[in-house]
Formats: sequence, C-alpha cells, structure tokens
Amino acid sequence: MSRAIVIGGHADSLAAARVLAKRHEVVVFAGNQGPGIAEGWVPRALRLDGLLLFSPEPWVAAPLPAGGRLELSSDLSRSVESIRRISPRDAVRWPEFCERMARLARFFETIYAAPPPDPLSFKFALRARALGKQGLEDLLRILPMPVAELLDDWFENDTLKGVLAGAGIAHLQQGPRSGGTAFRLLHNHVGSLPGVFRPPRSNLVELLRKGLEIHAGDVARISVQGGRVTGVVLKGGEEIEASLVVSGADPRRSLLELVEPGWLDPELARALAHVRRRGVVARVTLQLDRAPGFARMALAPSLDELERAYDDSKDGRVSQRPYLEAHCDADQRVEVHVQYVPYGADCSGLGDTVVALLSEHWGDAAADEVRVLSPRDLEEREGWPQGQAHHAELALDQALWMRPLPELARYRTPIEGLWLCGPGMHPGAGTAGAAGLNCAREILRG
Amino acid sequence: MPKYDAIIVGGGHNGLVCAAYLARAGRKVLVLERRERVGGAALTEEVFLGFRFSVFSYVVSLLRPEIIRDLELPRHGLHILPLESTLTPLPNGNYLAQWNDHDQNRRELARHSLRDAEAYDEFGHMLHQMARAIKPLLAMAPPDPTSLSPGNLMGMAKLARHFRGLGTQRFNTLTKLLTMSSADFLDEWFETEALKATKSASGIIGTLLGPRSPGTAYVLLHHYMGELDGVFRAWGFAKGGNGSVSAAIAGAARAAGAEIRCNASVANVLISGGSAKGVVLEGGEEIKADLVVSGADPRRTFMQLVGEKHLPGEFVESIRRFRFRGASAKVNLALGELPDFICLPGRGPHLRGAISISPSVAYLERAYDEAKYGGISGRPYMDIVIPSMLDPEMAPPRKHVMSIFVQYAPYHVKGGWTDARREALGDAVVDTLAEYAPNIRSAILHRQVVTPADIERIVGLAEGNIFQGELTLQQMFFLRPVPAWARYRTPLPGLYQCGAGTHPGGGVMGASGRNAALEILRA
Repeated sequence: MSRAIVIGGHADSLAAARVLAKRHEVVVFAGNQGPGIAEGWVPRALRLDGLLLFSPEPWVAAPLPAGGRLELSSDLSRSVESIRRISPRDAVRWPEFCERMARLARFFETIYAAPPPDPLSFKFALRARALGKQGLEDLLRILPMPVAELLDDWFENDTLKGVLAGAGIAHLQQGPRSGGTAFRLLHNHVGSLPGVFRPPRSNLVELLRKGLEIHAGDVARISVQGGRVTGVVLKGGEEIEASLVVSGADPRRSLLELVEPGWLDPELARALAHVRRRGVVARVTLQLDRAPGFARMALAPSLDELERAYDDSKDGRVSQRPYLEAHCDADQRVEVHVQYVPYGADCSGLGDTVVALLSEHWGDAAADEVRVLSPRDLEEREGWPQGQAHHAELALDQALWMRPLPELARYRTPIEGLWLCGPGMHPGAGTAGAAGLNCAREILRG
Repeated sequence: MPKYDAIIVGGGHNGLVCAAYLARAGRKVLVLERRERVGGAALTEEVFLGFRFSVFSYVVSLLRPEIIRDLELPRHGLHILPLESTLTPLPNGNYLAQWNDHDQNRRELARHSLRDAEAYDEFGHMLHQMARAIKPLLAMAPPDPTSLSPGNLMGMAKLARHFRGLGTQRFNTLTKLLTMSSADFLDEWFETEALKATKSASGIIGTLLGPRSPGTAYVLLHHYMGELDGVFRAWGFAKGGNGSVSAAIAGAARAAGAEIRCNASVANVLISGGSAKGVVLEGGEEIKADLVVSGADPRRTFMQLVGEKHLPGEFVESIRRFRFRGASAKVNLALGELPDFICLPGRGPHLRGAISISPSVAYLERAYDEAKYGGISGRPYMDIVIPSMLDPEMAPPRKHVMSIFVQYAPYHVKGGWTDARREALGDAVVDTLAEYAPNIRSAILHRQVVTPADIERIVGLAEGNIFQGELTLQQMFFLRPVPAWARYRTPLPGLYQCGAGTHPGGGVMGASGRNAALEILRA
C-alpha cells in the first residue's frame, strides 16, 4: 500500500482520509485542529454508526419589535402558528415556500453528492428537468437572485425575512440585496428538514477520527519533483515521503504557498490569487450562569438592517449593528456568530456590544468569560484564510463547477499526485465532508 | 375582415422597428402612438427656445447593425457622430481620459499605471470575444428550457452546442461575467481606481444595483456590445438628437407601407373568444387586426391593456414579480458657455466626448447605498455629453446643450417625487459638477430635471425604468419578462410583445422589435 498524506483535521480532510484508507496507508496532519462540531449536510456515505445530528427545536428564535418571539421549527404547523401572530398572510404562504425550497434543496443534495456537474451536459439537463416545470423555473430564477428579492416575493414581515436572509449571507462579504444570496439560502437548506433554514450540526468529526492515524504536525511545504508530488515537509523540518498528497487547506494556500512557486502555469497562479476569501465573521463565546431560554437566537431585525450592517463593512469597518446568531448548549455556553467584522478591523469593544445586544433577550442570566475571536484570531486558530470559514467565499462565481476555479473544480491539480479536498472545493463549506468524499472518490477512480 | 394584419401599440423605437420589418414582409401594419409624435424615449425636443435636447435616451451605441443595414437607416436620415473619448475628472485636479485612438489611450493610461496600460488591450480583446460569444443570442428568440416541445428542445441543444463551441476557457469567462460584480471583475484586471470606476459604471446603468453587486459584470458586457461590428466604434451621438433615430426608423417603416397614427392612445386590447382581435382607443374607437403587438412594458401591456382576468393567475403573479425599480434621471442644461474643467481648462477635444463623474468604485457604491434605502445620491454618478459640440444645430450660436445622465435617483424615493425633490436632485447634480467645473453655475441658462416618475408619466415606462424592466440575471434571456413566455408570444393568442421588456432588453438596441417581427413572420 502506498502512502497518502492528508492535510487538515476538518470533516472534509478526514472524510477523504477515511475513503483513501481502503487502498492507501493514510497519514493525516491535522495541525492543531481537534475534534469539533461539524456543520452541514452529511452525505449518505458518511452517516456512520453513532452519528448524531443536532438541530435545535425550534431551530431559531427571533425577538419581535413589539415584544415576544418568532419561533420557527421543523414542525410546519407550529411555525405557521408562530408566524400567524405577526402576519396571517405570511403564515398562509409558509408551507408552500418550504415545499418549493425543499424541492430545490433536494436537487442540490444530488448535485453535492458528486463532483461538480458539467452545466452543458445532457446528464445535467436531464437532472434539472426532473425538477418539473415549476421547479426548473424556480431554479433558473432563484439561483442568481438576491435573497432579499426572493423573500420580498413571498413574505411581508421584517423579522421573518431577516431571520431567513441570515442563511443567505452567512460568511459572505455580501448583503441580502446582492445577487446570488438566494442560492446561499438553498445551500444552507440542504440536509435540513423542510422549513429549517440552517445547516445541521453533528459529531461527524469525532466519528471520522476513529481508526485514522492523525498527527498534530503542521505541514510547511509540499515537495514536488518534476511535476510530481513527492511528499511533505513539516514545520519542524521533518520530511515525509508520499506519492499522494491531499490538501484540505485552502486552494490558494495549497498551491501558492505550500507548493514551491514555479510549478504552476502563471495564468492559473494569477487566477488563484484572485479567489476571494475575505473573512467577515467574528466569534464571541461566553458562559451564562443560567439557561437563556433559547437554543439558537438570531438578531436580524430586517433586510434593511442586514444590508446596513453590510454597508458598514465595505470600508473595512465593523457593523454598528451586526447580525448576530447565538447558539447556547446544554452547559449554557453561548457561541455567537457576529457579522460583519472585516479582516483586520478593530474588534475592541465587540464583546461588550454583543453582550449588550443579547442580554436584553436572556432574562436574568449573567455573562462571564466573554471572549472575542476576530477573523485574524480565527485565521491563526482554525487555519481559515483571512478568517474566512469557507476558505473561498461561496459566492455564485465561486460555486459549483467554478469552485474555487473552473480549472481546479474536479479536485485534481496540475501537479501530479496533489489533490484538493477542503471547504474551498465543491460543494464546500456548509456541508460536512462532502468535498472530501467526492475528492477521494475521484482519486480512487484514477 | 380586419383592416390590418398587425397593430403595434406604442411608437417607441422597438415598436417602429417591429412595424418596419413586418411592413417590409408585406404585412399591413398600423402603429398607434399615444403622444403627439413617435419616438418613445428616443426623442428630440426643443425644451427651451433654440435649445434642442435628447430628453431621455441620449447616445446611440447598441442599435443593432443589422437593423441599420436592413432598414437602410442612413438613407432615412440617421447620421451618427462618434464620441471619441471619455474623461473622468478627479477630485484632486487630475483626470483619467480614455481615447478611441489606441496610442493616445495607452500613453494616458501609462501615466496612471503601466500595468493597466499593459492590461488594457488584453481586457478589450477579452470583452470583444465575450461580446462575440453573446452576439448570436441577441438575435434569437430564447428557447423555453421548461418546455418539452421538439422546437424548444432543439433550441436548447443548439444553445448548449453554441456554448460548447466557445471552448472551456471562454465559457468560463462568460460564466464569470454573468455571475460576478463589475467591481470584482475589474479588480482582476486593473488597479487604477478611476479606470475601474468608469468601466464599472457601464455595469450599473439603468439598474438599482451598485458596482459591487453580483450580476453587474454582465450589464457591463451588454453595454460593450455596441463596440462590435465596426459599423461605428464605441458610443455615438445621433445628429439631431435621438429623436432622429426614431424618425429614421419611422421613415423606413412608412416607406415600407406602415401606417403611423399619433395622438392615438390605446385604452385596451380588444379580446374576443379568448384571443386578441384589435384595440380600443381612449375615445372608444375600435380598430381590428389579426395581431396586436405591444411595445409597452410588460406591466402596462398585461395589467392595463389586457387586464388580469384574461390571463392565467400564475402568469399575472410572474408579471407582478417582474422588477422595474427605475434608478436613473436626466438633467438637461442649456448653457451660455462651455464648462471649464479644473483638470483640463479651456476648450479641448475632451468636450467632444463623454465626461464621467466616477472617481472611484467606492464613490459609486456610496451613491448606490444612499439610493437603496430610498434616498437620492448626494454625489451621484453622472455621464455627461455636450451634443452641441458635435452638432451645432442643437443650440443657438455660441451656446450649448448639456445632457447629464444621473444615477441614482430611485423611483421609490422616500416620500415620493415632488417638485422640491426634483429640484434637490437638480441641485445635487449641479453641485457635484461644480466641484470639477466651477463655472457651471453661472453658465446655466435653463435647467430641466427628468426624474424616474417623470419618465413614467411622460413616456409611460413603468417606474421609469429605462430598460422596461431591470436587466438582472433573473430577468434575462429565457426569463425575460417571464419564464416560458420569452419568445415574444403571450398567453393571449394574437398578442405579441416587442418592447425592451423582452429579450435582449434595452439601450436603444431595437433587437426586441426585430426579434418579435421575425418571430411573428415565422409563425
């Protein structure tokens, strides 16, 4: 068995390692990435024994301007009941909206379970046709749309639209009025029940780690000789030989930093340097002394508020009123997604802002151990380039067969034996392990 | 027996083009225009005594060369004077100029960035290739991807073959153009802010989107289409104003036998037995025809002229969703003297070209940010031409007319459009221009401000959108104006559409009118 080296400790790298282990002696260099929570749809082949998918119920709570909360759950009738209190018209439309979006999400699920499709192929045309007339119309129309337009087509209530739009903009340097964000709503719907518009979380990473040889070492360089990969060099200088290297690091880093420059075609190198990966999210963690009364709370009061939050970030500033999404676990540890926080922006005071905005909604609980992880901190800690969790922004021009670039979309690189498997590849972040799985299968196909 | 084979509702340029093509094929055609003269938004008017303006649309660049050829428009009086440069004055007193002359342009760019000067040719070559790739699509009735009819399936297969024929690299670039923002796209090519901004401005024209909004890169390509074919390079100005474009097309239509009636406002389409049989005028007069072809925008056509009750519910819902959101205004100035730019004082060739107020991408984006919440841009993007420099007959001797295209002035302005807001917009435009050419204030003799609400009221374009509907990816090609009804037909038998609300959209292209006529003749 020849040796294969897999770089990265996230779900995609581990999924690739697990599949490759059937034919190779696999060594994983996970850096400092330990077992964590995976986020996103889990492809069928990775639904291992013991897999636990968590989606809180209700999956989101959002404070209403007049008091009380909007609560959405996977139970259609309960959501309808909650929406009815703020808009009878929206309540009537909710079931059909959920059904139409779920149909498109199922389409993407089949697209995500394989390497990116050729958009001009007969096979892809047939698959799209299977959506039926209305489904196909929805697909063509919704794909390039701003999520704000999609939601304005369907609903009138600001809170409802704000909460749903959150799924369209998460981790993206775009606002809800930017084209392509409706696609993101669908992307984040894949793998969830109808009516749930946030990716599920799971213990997938923990399960995948079992039985793999995982080292904490950091790969400093990928060695190439005569256009062929020959192994890796670790930070300490140790060299390890391998004829197959699968990198879960972001595509730009993998090919422009880990590989000696000069092996790439200058045109490809130029295109790679243009792959956008701007981090826009800070993570704030804190400990509450009692349960706050929600599992997930979104502060996204309206489409305009989200758009204004985005406007602030265009000049590199932190949003004055950021979009917040707080998750609380059973131990009352709260993790808050704070957007927009541009890479390199001044984050002092962000912890206080977040606590001030959230404390109105958690009753008498008191917050302690408030920690802010700026995009720069996340880059260091998680290895996310510029703090971008998706490695390459999942905008329409960096999705599907263009992810991260058309030339690299099928996981293979111009360097023989070097493959890419990370969240920067199709279908990418927000799905758990699918890119790694697709990549490994392509490798084994030869 | 109806007297006419076809009635065209609306004497805008598309309606006239459609009429001309039908008449040339021997059909008996009647064009009905609501106003006292034809032209729609391609109109020249003597707004102030001795000062003639292209009140709405003001340049010619996209008018399809095949239409100019087929209809022999030069013979009917069309004469295009080329605009040879674009000047972007900068707040620091410097400027960026783009010239049609290759070497002059290169020297000027090199003054700002050697890298950009190097990249410029390659960029032009790339856009040229892309425009070539899109060109066959402009003259095509888009197939319906949701239909299983042999004709549509063949159309789709043909389309796939066309894209495949481009080769992987060009297809990829095209997909990028379709999905990227013009700012991101230009970032990959250039570093000079003013260059990126001025180029990206073509991506926002007519649409309530900023240069950082995905989808704007395509609009940039749409506006590049005119630079193709070598019939006339780049942007041009019609001698006598844009009214002479309409007049030439109307002349061609009349010469082919079409009848044109002005002051004939259509109240509704005459429907009997579930199909269109003619029209009813405001006065009650009924005119019968085998076909009715509407050059009005989709909202007016279906919600007003036809009426919801004659249309399937789903279709009405789709028309309701079709977005207009006019974002552009026009300010027309009568000038006692020429503007004197700080960056290029005095008279010079730059006054014979376009002048673009687009110093940086951030400037344009800020202008958009104000507008998307219902404000008027305090410092707007402006595209300025001085037609009297090219055609002295537009103004009295030694005096001038200036045409300023302004964005963003949203139709849905907070509080609605009032006289005070109209003047505020005019002031913002003059204030902005005065920062670059301070003598403009004293040079102004008269000022006309045309808001999107005015465009809607006068020309009839819904929400004042100059393209008869936003030119965004979700409203393009086989989705324009409504999926499954992009082939100029409508759910009402006997009724066709030929306005810019259909593929390929606006910009005084005439392609919608031509495509509709060819589709009718094919049927």
